[in-house]
Amino acid sequence: MTAVVKPPAQPRRRQLEQILPTIAPLGGVAAVLVLVALTTPTFFTGATLSLVLFETGLIGVTAVGQTLVLLVGGIDLSIGAVIGLTTVIIASDSGGSGARLPTAIALAAAAGIAVGLVNAVLVLVRQVPPFVATFVTFVLVQGGITAWTQGAPSGDIPEALGPLGSGRIVGLPTPVWIFAVLAALTGLMLSRTALGRHIYASGANRRAADMSGIRTMQVIAIAYVASALLAVLAGFIDAGYIGHVDAQLSRSLNLDSVAAAVIGGVALTGGRGNIAQTISGVLLLAVLLVWMVQLGAGPGGQLAVEGAAILLAAGLQHGGLFTRKKQQKGVRR
Amino acid sequence: MTVSSIATHRRRAVTAAVGVSLLLVAACSSQKEGSTSAANSGGSGSAASACPNEQQAQEAYQKTWQAAEQQLGMSGIKAPAVKVCDVDTTKYKKPPKNGKYKIAFAAQGPTNSWAMENEEAFKYQAQQKGVDVLYASANGDATKQVDNIQQLASQNPDAMVVVPMGPGITGQVRAAVQQGIPVVLCAGRLAGNSGAVSTVARSYELQATLLAEWLVKQLNGKGSVAMLSGIAGVPTAEFQKVAAAKVFAQHPGIQVVTKQYTDWSPTKAKTVASNLVAQYPNLDGIWSDSGFSDLGVMEAYKQAGKQVPPLTGDSSNAFLKAVKGTNIKFALSAFPPEQSQKCLDIALDALAGKPVPNIVNVESAAYTNAEIDKYVRPECSDNLWIPSSLPDSLLKKLKLC
Repeated sequence: MTAVVKPPAQPRRRQLEQILPTIAPLGGVAAVLVLVALTTPTFFTGATLSLVLFETGLIGVTAVGQTLVLLVGGIDLSIGAVIGLTTVIIASDSGGSGARLPTAIALAAAAGIAVGLVNAVLVLVRQVPPFVATFVTFVLVQGGITAWTQGAPSGDIPEALGPLGSGRIVGLPTPVWIFAVLAALTGLMLSRTALGRHIYASGANRRAADMSGIRTMQVIAIAYVASALLAVLAGFIDAGYIGHVDAQLSRSLNLDSVAAAVIGGVALTGGRGNIAQTISGVLLLAVLLVWMVQLGAGPGGQLAVEGAAILLAAGLQHGGLFTRKKQQKGVRR
Repeated sequence: MTVSSIATHRRRAVTAAVGVSLLLVAACSSQKEGSTSAANSGGSGSAASACPNEQQAQEAYQKTWQAAEQQLGMSGIKAPAVKVCDVDTTKYKKPPKNGKYKIAFAAQGPTNSWAMENEEAFKYQAQQKGVDVLYASANGDATKQVDNIQQLASQNPDAMVVVPMGPGITGQVRAAVQQGIPVVLCAGRLAGNSGAVSTVARSYELQATLLAEWLVKQLNGKGSVAMLSGIAGVPTAEFQKVAAAKVFAQHPGIQVVTKQYTDWSPTKAKTVASNLVAQYPNLDGIWSDSGFSDLGVMEAYKQAGKQVPPLTGDSSNAFLKAVKGTNIKFALSAFPPEQSQKCLDIALDALAGKPVPNIVNVESAAYTNAEIDKYVRPECSDNLWIPSSLPDSLLKKLKLC
């Protein structure tokens, strides 16, 4: 309902709308860093910052995959289970021996691809809503692990994986480098290649994309498989980080990747967002998580802050700060 | 300005205000969530008025405390006042049908290695005693366990052993008791009105107090301590946290600098401990309720190139194997999964009409780094809980050794 005729300030406003989605989360990071400096000055020490970078790397790897899935209009809730499954496969198949590590890695990757394909088939062929489909696979994989290991996964993590999780390159934790490379590659792919354009098109309006000759099924399936494979990679990083099997890992729904992408401003409705936003979101989340521990906030506090950050991000997205585009999503076949 | 843009601005302001206030609330919330009442209630509903055989029952309960402090070379630890009495079980006395008792076991479900060993130990004991087992797995969930107890009760078992998943099951336990089934609570506890005939568990207070006192002694009553608990809101974690905090509060020289949760995950524990290393470089001790968390603590200090301060935990082979050959000081106290065997024995006593204590405080091993060689099982899996009373053949079959 408009009471007054809109003034002709549209062009400037549109410009602002284009820049804001990328700048807003970075502003959030800056604002939080100021709060951090005021409350916990010890935060800005090498050891703490390196912990933030480690968290950034670990969350970032899965957030890149999550971003791809969100861009095609889906969501991947199975990431936590795939991370857990990966560490269990590595431990039981290699038994701690570095010589058997390549086979174990191949097996874990195969398992990841399988999970990604199951997600894609459920979503594309059976038309199960993505959050239901991927939650189902989360539960299935978790159940599978429990049935297989009886809650007591055997074996050890080969030491050769150590550098991936605990190592440093030029003084910075290895995971953050992995994230940086992945983010750069994905950013290029999204902005410069046909696949990138197809991903945006499939998420923004699938029917239109279909009609313009894009094989949206293939594109969406690629996103789910990529997300699962990146979760496998995160599993390797986790395994290398702790060096022991962690039976608790697969029991966590691990929504950090969704949170990071959404905080960054990637739309849950598909078709909108970019890797730069994901990077800001991941940074913001990593800073928040480490800061909360330093503040001594309990898990309730940690979750509340994560929730508040998502709420703020989603509120800003939908509150009209950016244009509210009516998503005319194609009817799924 | 248009009406819609005013509305938009207002909405944005509200969103921002909500967000900021949530941030503030969370920042100030330090550790208030998840605390559970530390009431020291036993399992008996029948000890309300008279307390038969009080002295002997009380002595048996205290004996476990004394044994534990002696194991760690300490003395003078005061056990909390808990009312322990014998429960008359003549009303449950019955001969086995077809020569065999049928005992229901509402178990946790094999969600981790402790639960798996807990169940296998129960089944093994049942086999030894010639008892039929009706088994139900709660998959670690109290809501599911409510269903399980109902279903098990409907199959008319002679007795029921429940590994309680949370206070939410109390009503269903009471319903089973009202049906005439003697219920034994195992390796956990419920509030006093559950009607259970007995609660058989290693006391949470004992575990936590013993380890906290050991840490205080190591630090000569002076220093900064971090507390690491398992999962927020889970009784095993919360009761221990409260009891340990109480000990530290009695020593003015001890400063608890932070209380964190590790979810009993080595990975999460390593992240939390990495934070500790950075924020409290001169931390003097770590009180932890779990050997699996200690694994993460150790890795964090190793990565930072620092000596691990004295720490505590329960007795997992994973930690012992990892710590062997180092000079890390630690004290561990076992929360044995095999307590389920004692639970079955007490249920059978009740069916025989023998008086049983309303609370059985299970004895277990407590030891320090000095005795590591006696306890570590390098040939066995990380998942083995030490010391195990299960026969080697069974441990092999379960791929634990």
